Amino acid sequence: METLRDKARELLAARTVQVIIGYGQGSGGGARAVFVREAAEADALIFNEACRQNLAVYLMKPEVRKLGKAALVATPSALRTILQLAAENQVGDHDLLALAVHAAGEVTLLATLQAIEAHVTELDADLSAAEKAELRKYEALSLEQRREYWQEQFSRCLKCYACRAACPLCYCSRCTVECNQPQWIPVPAHDLGNLEWNVMRAMHLAGRCVNCGDCSRACPVAIPLYLLNQKLISDVFANFNARSGMAAKTDNAMSIFKPDDSEDFIR
Amino acid sequence: MARIGVFICHCGENISATVDVKKVAAAASRIPGVAHSVEYKYMCSDPGQQMIKNAVREKNLTGVVVAACSPRMHEPTFRRACAEAGLNPFLCEMANIREHCSWVHEKSDATTNKAIDIVRTLVAKVKKNKALLPIKVPVTKTALVLGGGIAGIQASLDIANAGHKVILVEKQPSIGGHMSQLSETFPTLDCSQCILTPRMVEVAQHPNITLHSYSELESLDGFIGNFKARIRKKARSLDEKLCTGCGLCTQKCPTRKIASEFDAGLGLRPAIYVPFPQAVPNKPVIDREHCTYYLKGKCRLCEKICPTQAIRFDQEDEILEVEVGAVVLATGFDIKHGDFFPEYGYGKYKDVIDGLQFERLASASGPTLGEMRRPSDGRVPETVVFVACAGSRDPAKGIEYCSKICCMYTAKHAMLYKHKVHHGRPYVFYMDIRAGGKMYEEFVRRAQEVDGVQYIRGRVSRIYERGGKLVVKGADTLLGARPMEIEADLVVLATAGVANAGAEELAQKVHVSYDPYYFYSEAHPKLRPVETNTAGIFLAGACQAPKDIPESVAQASGAAAKVAGLFSQSELVREPLIAVVDRQAPPLYSTCVGCFLCQAACPYQAIEKEEIRGRDGRLIKTVAKVNPGLCQGCGTCVALCRSKSIDIQGFSHEQVYAEVLALLNRGESDV
Repeated sequence: METLRDKARELLAARTVQVIIGYGQGSGGGARAVFVREAAEADALIFNEACRQNLAVYLMKPEVRKLGKAALVATPSALRTILQLAAENQVGDHDLLALAVHAAGEVTLLATLQAIEAHVTELDADLSAAEKAELRKYEALSLEQRREYWQEQFSRCLKCYACRAACPLCYCSRCTVECNQPQWIPVPAHDLGNLEWNVMRAMHLAGRCVNCGDCSRACPVAIPLYLLNQKLISDVFANFNARSGMAAKTDNAMSIFKPDDSEDFIR
Repeated sequence: MARIGVFICHCGENISATVDVKKVAAAASRIPGVAHSVEYKYMCSDPGQQMIKNAVREKNLTGVVVAACSPRMHEPTFRRACAEAGLNPFLCEMANIREHCSWVHEKSDATTNKAIDIVRTLVAKVKKNKALLPIKVPVTKTALVLGGGIAGIQASLDIANAGHKVILVEKQPSIGGHMSQLSETFPTLDCSQCILTPRMVEVAQHPNITLHSYSELESLDGFIGNFKARIRKKARSLDEKLCTGCGLCTQKCPTRKIASEFDAGLGLRPAIYVPFPQAVPNKPVIDREHCTYYLKGKCRLCEKICPTQAIRFDQEDEILEVEVGAVVLATGFDIKHGDFFPEYGYGKYKDVIDGLQFERLASASGPTLGEMRRPSDGRVPETVVFVACAGSRDPAKGIEYCSKICCMYTAKHAMLYKHKVHHGRPYVFYMDIRAGGKMYEEFVRRAQEVDGVQYIRGRVSRIYERGGKLVVKGADTLLGARPMEIEADLVVLATAGVANAGAEELAQKVHVSYDPYYFYSEAHPKLRPVETNTAGIFLAGACQAPKDIPESVAQASGAAAKVAGLFSQSELVREPLIAVVDRQAPPLYSTCVGCFLCQAACPYQAIEKEEIRGRDGRLIKTVAKVNPGLCQGCGTCVALCRSKSIDIQGFSHEQVYAEVLALLNRGESDV
């Protein structure tokens, strides 16, 4: 923790960055995002197992961008998010640097997207064994059972859009759900509207989601949104051999065509 | 308030026989917003069009729906009629109640009700239509022709003679293509080079044609009328301006045993060479893969001997950038080589050769100076077997199509052989004889009847060597599939015509579609045979499908006519049915967030980056912008855009939604 604070002080003192986006003490033993703009305030930074939020979500908030160049206290998910945002032309080298934090308390300063790429390549980007096991269980369900499962899960959805607010890749300035000429997604939280909203969001993240899990953690009614995302991550990898958030310059698997793409679905 | 006119066509009886058109007109008149609703026998006729024009003027219509045939047929007719009456043509839509309704259903109330529904959806759409203006794009009046075979030569000459500039790019050191390799041509047996070389010289001398031989297309960007091409001029290793083509270097080059591409591997050439005596341009090229200097760092004999000091060993490839308005693909074809026919011993026995090799054997400029001598021992072959359909029309080999030229050239080969070896015995194994064409059937009959070529209907199963002879095992299906064996001295396989090895790569470079055999696809097999699906790119010759010289030349002239037509105007007018990125009031400016996932998805490279700047020049936002000249209105970007920031003019989200809702929300009483 001290290493992190020292690094933060150093960066702010040298005016290398204008703000450190990191974790601070939250209520009830939790962690919350803090925005440290003065070296003297660096003691507010913490890092412990409660620090799970993908802080890269703040990179896309206009009020944070206004603060200037940021140093982001970054978990592996956040690092991949930065690369994905770079691939989508949302951040560049001049916007940020990353402070990759490790469980043991060390901090690695990654000053360029290239450095982040090199760092991320060393990480295991695959789904964990537990995630794979759960996915296999889900995939064992028939299409009918899957539909029932999601209808049941989505019946709790309140359309509060907390998933969207927590997601670092939901950065559109106008979400599809807010289009009303025509009204694509019904606004009320009824069965059809909930299904359309959640499926639409999942599809918009296909080939982009880095599996940080913040949507599920943000959901007040505990819909297992991670399962939708992990299914798509696994399918995109199986079909197109593509993994999001691994390179700062890469084409989205869902928006390109390669002659050797498998086209089993139209045979 | 909308004032829509609905015009229902009987199409003679095509529609009125199964649809109650009077009832449709009455129902349409009750749709909110419809100010005028009539039916008539032929809406596309002059009086029919006049009805529309009069109604537009008299009833002050804000939109028109013509319920008739497919918009593919008469949309231009009715849109023009509306425009003449002063209504923006894009406020006129067609409701297809013929192909989508009357033709596919029996006469019944349900059929009539469906016609009413179709009209209802289009009325809902037209209410949301906006007046659109055609898009104008400038035209660069220079054509790029890729491939200098007979098709490319013909296309270049025709375009150049129409008064336009042509840039002709040929991969090989000389233009001429496969036709320059042929000995005689069917059905007249005139010498191929005698009729081709004047054209080659004409290309070289034409003031409107710039020839880049030994060059390849590196990349092509842009759109109809406005392409940007990068051409790689491969290093010839000599200064073309200094070289006089005297040929001293090619005579003195010590490395002489390289298989000649021009002689289809039957002859030899030196490392510095001109492919054939009539080559255009008549400038040698150093084959760096075989030249002793490039391999071992020593020799430079050609440099010493050159009277004009033209040799440049350190020359590098040059990249030329040119702007062109149209592209003609005339990259030709290849024939199947290699181990494709293990059962025929092709590639294993020296005396099993392909059609192009036979052409070189028969040609006066070939390795035997036109004497009929077989490759293995130089003996005159007494018995020659010609195998037609070697690979073609053979689903088991993966080539289901007919290569089209083989029946004719096989008859020609057998004839040429007989003309040179009077006592020789030529046999032809064939599946069917396809000799459709002017004087073609007569030509084959002449081979059979005058020159005594033995035609055997059947396929060859195997060819193997026995005692210095090639044993051809086959069957004569006209004699009850009787197995037969012929001991031959030479076997000529009419191997399948296939696409060039680089055909797919080039197609992807210039963004044209191709078929499963990598032949380039025409826009319509009957009505648009020389266009590709990419506007401004045309096809000529065998890159589209195997074809003979007359057909290649005809298609080349067709492509040239299309290019000349395109170049006859200084601006192109295109339908404005294209994608547009939205604009909003500040502080949003556009809902586009600039992720540019659409850029990679666009098959036409139509999406560019646009910087929105404040009055002080400060960058506010970088958003996507659709180039109206390039966009083909396919809608891929529209479907991909997460924030729905892109829309297609004329088929907007709002319009399509209105159509769907018109169907979903109709009450029972509406019918």
